[in-house]
Amino acid sequence: MDLIYGQIRDAVRHASVRARGESIERRRSKSPTKPSAAWTAPCRIGSSQGTALSIVLSSIGCTHARSEEGGCTMCSYLLDGASRNPTAEEFFLQFQTAMRKLEKVGAPLSIKIYTSGSFLDPDEIPVDSRYQILKTISEDDRIKEVVLESRPEFVTEAVITEVRELLGNRSVELGIGLESSSDFVRSICINKNFNLDSFRESVVVGKRHDIGTRAYVLLKPPFMTERSALLDAQKTVTDAISLGTTTISLNPVNVQRNTLVESLWEKGKYRPPWLWSVVEVLRHAYSVSGGAVNIVCDPVAAGKNRGTHNCGNCDSSIVDSIRTFSLNQDVSVFDDLNCECRELWNHVLEHEDVSLQIHT
Amino acid sequence: MTEFRIGRGHDGPARIGEYIMGTEVYTTPILTGPIFTENPIIPYGTIGRVTSNSLKPCFLAYPFELQIDESEKEGIRETDSILLPSLPSFSALGDGAGALMLKHQMDALDELQTTIEPTRMVIRIPDEIDQEALTSSLTDFHSKGVRAAAFVFDGLLGDQDLNSIVQRKHLPMSWLALALGRITPGTIPLLYYVGFDIIDIGHACEAAAKHQRLWHNGTESIQSGQQYRYCPCASCQTLQDIDSSQLVDALLNHNVNIYVSILSESQNAMASGRLRWLVESTTHNSPAHASALRRIDRNAYSFIEEFTPSTGASNLPLIGPESYNAPAVRRFREYIASRYKPPTYKKIALLLPCSARKPYSDSKSHRRFLETIETSFSSATSQIAQIILTSPLGLVPRELERMFPAASYDIPVTGEWDREETNLAADALITHLNKFASDVVIIAHVSGGYLDIVRTAESRISQSIIYTSVDASPTSWESREALQETLIDLKDILSIKPSRPQELEEIIRSTADFQFGPGAGEVLVPENARLTGKSYRQILCRVDREQICSFVADTGLLSLTLDGARLLAPLNRYWVRLDAPSVKGGSIFAVGVREADVAIRPGDEVIILNDQGEVTAAGRSEMSGREMCELDRGRAVSVRHKLEGD
Repeated sequence: MDLIYGQIRDAVRHASVRARGESIERRRSKSPTKPSAAWTAPCRIGSSQGTALSIVLSSIGCTHARSEEGGCTMCSYLLDGASRNPTAEEFFLQFQTAMRKLEKVGAPLSIKIYTSGSFLDPDEIPVDSRYQILKTISEDDRIKEVVLESRPEFVTEAVITEVRELLGNRSVELGIGLESSSDFVRSICINKNFNLDSFRESVVVGKRHDIGTRAYVLLKPPFMTERSALLDAQKTVTDAISLGTTTISLNPVNVQRNTLVESLWEKGKYRPPWLWSVVEVLRHAYSVSGGAVNIVCDPVAAGKNRGTHNCGNCDSSIVDSIRTFSLNQDVSVFDDLNCECRELWNHVLEHEDVSLQIHT
Repeated sequence: MTEFRIGRGHDGPARIGEYIMGTEVYTTPILTGPIFTENPIIPYGTIGRVTSNSLKPCFLAYPFELQIDESEKEGIRETDSILLPSLPSFSALGDGAGALMLKHQMDALDELQTTIEPTRMVIRIPDEIDQEALTSSLTDFHSKGVRAAAFVFDGLLGDQDLNSIVQRKHLPMSWLALALGRITPGTIPLLYYVGFDIIDIGHACEAAAKHQRLWHNGTESIQSGQQYRYCPCASCQTLQDIDSSQLVDALLNHNVNIYVSILSESQNAMASGRLRWLVESTTHNSPAHASALRRIDRNAYSFIEEFTPSTGASNLPLIGPESYNAPAVRRFREYIASRYKPPTYKKIALLLPCSARKPYSDSKSHRRFLETIETSFSSATSQIAQIILTSPLGLVPRELERMFPAASYDIPVTGEWDREETNLAADALITHLNKFASDVVIIAHVSGGYLDIVRTAESRISQSIIYTSVDASPTSWESREALQETLIDLKDILSIKPSRPQELEEIIRSTADFQFGPGAGEVLVPENARLTGKSYRQILCRVDREQICSFVADTGLLSLTLDGARLLAPLNRYWVRLDAPSVKGGSIFAVGVREADVAIRPGDEVIILNDQGEVTAAGRSEMSGREMCELDRGRAVSVRHKLEGD
């Protein structure tokens, strides 16, 4: 059995490399002093409403995505990055550019730093830049909450000690793409290349320093039926909560360029998850956590063909409910949702399992 | 006990059988779905997810992620069959990914077989798989005891569906074939025809959920306040004033009824030898149906032909281009080309148009042609070869006019031929006339589309051609007059001498060649043979007072006596070799067959050899030669004559 799993994994890895193709070489050269993106949005900080600044630093991209491993089957964030890695100074300039968006905004603030990779990976973000950025944050009293993103292998005792020391008593959360608590799903369907123990370890290291973990949970990687995907996401949520994560961020797969998912989708062999499935997972997450864990979902390309979608008639009202729930954690927003397509979704749940025919 | 038993009868790869799950015996073909109704439908579900409330045995899907441990197996009853775990879409990765899915299922089988008999398992054939990997793993699964496989359909009748149909031919004969996925009712005749025994009707639910009613040739959206089609089924009687909460259920019932009725229609068509015709009629459902059948005829011809009986319905409609390459039609053309040999004493080849009435000589027009021939060529008519041009069979020599399907086909006659049928007939004519001596004179007593055939072929025909019906219909007085004059002139010019009639010999010889291949005619009708009877009833062939064979006009076929079988045996064709020294009873079962000629088709006259290779019986085959070898049960041959005594 293990032998075949190994061969299945290899096939996925090769296909991921193939799907990535020349796309890394074809990345447009970008200004090394501007972030890939930066935006502000209202958010909950503790129990009050505040403003969150999300910054996507333009780096050379995720180590795993650049490697011979081919990256994850659904992810092309790599393509947002730069074709050469910016210098430490340039990274800091990117950060400062983004921070200008907060010049006239009052407390409380939340800063979320994304890199299309791992903020804590020293090969991606130079140690000096990391220090400068965190130091700058520590000097801004409006900032009450910081979210950093990283793969678990870079979450080490030394780095976390440094982060905690610099950020003082601010609320800190580490975003980690757990995706699935099943090693099988994570390795074969996602090609993620780390195991559950590695994630568990990161949560423990974080906790030791009073740093929470935001677990990214993926809904519907390729090679899964709608029901398998739904059940796996629900189980992942349950497992992540029992491991001690502080936030669950549910990510329904969207079809990104130059990914294995895209190549399947183009052949009619993949469909992004139904919004009904997203709602089911959120409901489940809420009932498991009993409100003790923050549950958020900001679906990309929702309602579109490349994103999580339903029939087209009910999509916008469901997406609205999902966003409302993410802000206020009020699960009753889902109660009144209904549409004729729910029946069709029920059919898909039942029929895909038996037929293994993807219902596009 | 789970077992698939194949019953008697074929029309193409379509067959009937019994799928035995414990004490429940499901008669195939049968539908499968998530629906539990009074209808004969095998329910299905997924282990640990949707379990059936049905008391009946069902198919259970084994999810890929499910750990194979004892606790999960509790929901599985002894009588349920298991769909082995595979990953959807995985084979689309190419590079042997499909083969990996089969290997994975083999591993799963090895782990599961301690508690689940392999006869209860169903392999899932990946959407994309190379043929070699498939056949080799099917052999492995077969040796482990697996006897069922499921194929996936997306309902578009495009490459994926075609692929599944073409892959199906690689299954061992004794296996049960399931078609899963999105399958519309209008596709059922086709899937049954190409050999699927169990067909998924999950699409009935999908359509109902979308507020659609399914019909044999399409869908209808049901919207309140709008007029919709009349339907006699019980669930549609209240549709007008049903409230929306019950609508989906009502539509589902209707949709299931449609599936049930189309399957029943298909079974009925198969029983009367008209399944191919039913399939051809579905080509008007959509262009996709039409192109699917054409591609199947091209890519899976030998598979479909192998199971197409050599006899068939007494009335075989051949309506349009979808019939041109139907196995019974194409096989006829090929046999005429490869097996027919004209007698050497023919001096004239007379080309005639076909007639609506079959056999041709019963028609008014042919009776007139025969009269003309008789008056102008009396006492030498045997020196004229009569060749009837027709579509889509190409041509029919007069001697073989009672052969299936020449005696029973029915085409729409308009006198207009399309290019494809003209070319088919022209090619057949060229091949045919090349078998005659170069000094044979050809008379083309044809007009219109038939004349176009001769004109198309003309440049590739070496003999000289005389046209006798260019300006008027062949049956017209002028044309027959022209024919008569031509024949009288030729009789003189060619110095034709009187000769005895050869009709009976020609019928028996050409029929023997057609049935048993070249040379058979000479073997069965040697110089000293004595023939008696009438061509329109029965002809007996005796040698030294022993009957060799008889020709039965109703079927157009020869049946052999033991002596006839002994004469033919050295040709080494159409033989079935037994494990036993002799035949007991009136039937030979597949289990008793050691080997058989793979050229045997259902309905063929066959020679039975015993374990010593001696002729011990003659009979009619009930299945194809390959099935006789591979199947462990089922009637292989109905015995007509056998060696009595020991």
